[in-house]
Amino acid sequence: MKKGGSLSYLTKEGFHNVWMNRLMSVASIAVLMACLVMMGSAFMIIVNVQNVMNQIEQQNVIMVYMDDDATQADVAALQKDILSVDNVLSCEHEDKEKAFQEQLDELGSKADYFEGVENPLPETFKVTVKDMEKFDETASALSGLQKVNSIRDNKEIAQILIKTRSSVTYISVGIIAVLLVISLFIIANTVRITMYSRRLEINIMKSVGATNWFIRWPFFVEGMTLGAISGVVSFGIVWGVYKLLNGTLQSMFSVINSGFKIVPFTSYALYILAAFLVIGIVSGGLGSLVSIQKYLKERGGIVYEEEE
Amino acid sequence: MIDFKNVSKVYDNGTKALHNINIHIDKGEFVFVVGASGAGKSTFLKLMMREEVPSTGTINIKNYNLGEMKKKEIPYFRRNMGIVFQDFRLIQNMTVYDNVAFAMRVVGAREKEIRKRVPYVINIVGLSSKARNYPMELSGGEQQRVALARALVNNADIIIADEPTGNVDPQMSLEIVELLTRLNEAGTTVIMVTHEHSLVSQFDKRVIVLDSGEVISDGVMEDGEIPIGLASHLNSDTKRRTRTKFGNKISKKEKNSEKIIAVEPKDNVKVDDEYLDALIGDTDSYRVYLEQDDSQPKGGDSQ
Repeated sequence: MKKGGSLSYLTKEGFHNVWMNRLMSVASIAVLMACLVMMGSAFMIIVNVQNVMNQIEQQNVIMVYMDDDATQADVAALQKDILSVDNVLSCEHEDKEKAFQEQLDELGSKADYFEGVENPLPETFKVTVKDMEKFDETASALSGLQKVNSIRDNKEIAQILIKTRSSVTYISVGIIAVLLVISLFIIANTVRITMYSRRLEINIMKSVGATNWFIRWPFFVEGMTLGAISGVVSFGIVWGVYKLLNGTLQSMFSVINSGFKIVPFTSYALYILAAFLVIGIVSGGLGSLVSIQKYLKERGGIVYEEEE
Repeated sequence: MIDFKNVSKVYDNGTKALHNINIHIDKGEFVFVVGASGAGKSTFLKLMMREEVPSTGTINIKNYNLGEMKKKEIPYFRRNMGIVFQDFRLIQNMTVYDNVAFAMRVVGAREKEIRKRVPYVINIVGLSSKARNYPMELSGGEQQRVALARALVNNADIIIADEPTGNVDPQMSLEIVELLTRLNEAGTTVIMVTHEHSLVSQFDKRVIVLDSGEVISDGVMEDGEIPIGLASHLNSDTKRRTRTKFGNKISKKEKNSEKIIAVEPKDNVKVDDEYLDALIGDTDSYRVYLEQDDSQPKGGDSQ
């Protein structure tokens, strides 16, 4: 028998079911959405942690602080010396007056405390290293230079963070996997309930000789629709939450690294939307298939047992 | 057409539902299957619809061997059978038209065919004027006719009616059986499962009596005759219209006169010819319902 006309009928039935069972639909969309939002949040956290890590890793920077009595001539001399040290890529002088002014500006009205105080900041050089492998040698060479008071490098913190990065990634991937399984179960259960409420129709379909695929199709469509809706709505929610949290995240990461900017949502928006849609539709479709298979096996009988 | 050969069914839990059933139903026959709860009617229907397969024996319906049929053939096999139930099983939020059309849609019929076929079938069951009504707005008899239309719509040539008169009043019951008869006259094979002996007795049709999973009688009943079976088959109305002998001897004459319409044994024994023969001269172990000479059975009602 030809299927053309009725496939579209059954597909429409699937969409129709979403509306007819709107309470259950809303419930399952909500739960699936919760899963997706958590997944999305986990993903965005990973992205940002990775980003910080990458920045730190690339930031093979050594801060060189000069003695307080350094003169302008000393500054010029040291700059030359630094550049002559092996493995130094670049060297940037940070003027202490300028840096002090910036700090004062940041303090705003509290800057009054510093009225008449002499600039306590030292002259500073920001030195970038060519090869991370020779980081330690370069650092000690720099600290041995004339008029250098002290140096500061990020190496230790960088190494700790690089270590934690892999564990953060594993944990997040684990969480995402667990959430995926949970969403599958949720969809499966929703479709199960819908199926129970539509057992009469399934019963009729079976008794008039509808093939199993014809029976499954509307539920399949229903599951996928629920998944797709959850995907789109979750995307919106994650976007909104991310925007709201933008400032908080920004300052959170700034603790680690002052030059840090959080990853803008838009640079991942398409991936997240695509992932949400795929996860939603796949778990919706799979979930409904799993439960209809179970339903057809367990209680798909046409002839009811005699009631004694 | 329909052929049960030495069919037995034992369920996984050990329940012996049917034992050595041999039934042959020809194309175009009208058969009543009667039996009490637990007699094996449900199992018989499940086997017919290929929901269960026999434990032993073979079932052939049309060109299908039900025991050897592949799973994916089942839906196509079922399109040969139209089934109606006591509870009608109509979808409440669909009109009469849509309920009937639903059966066509879900087997993949085209909308064009549906628009042609559905009104035709609704007309056959005499509900053309109610096509736009919802099941709730119909009487029990009318709802059963919708169910019948749905069973017919895919051109089934076997109609199975499972207690189709269970939820309708006696007058409607008669109408439904008459409608089934008309369909039968047009060539459809009809198998009607019921426990209403009194209804059965009003039609001169073949009656198969199932009891404890066995066929205990199979034959065409003459006017007003009720097949021998357990008294629990009888509804109260029929019981009222019968003379009861309890604990008395049953004579050979009475046994042969075919006036015995039911026997209620005291112990849980099977009622068959052998048992009835043994009854003769026995005392105190049975209750016999004998048909009253002056009573003519009327429309049946439910128990």
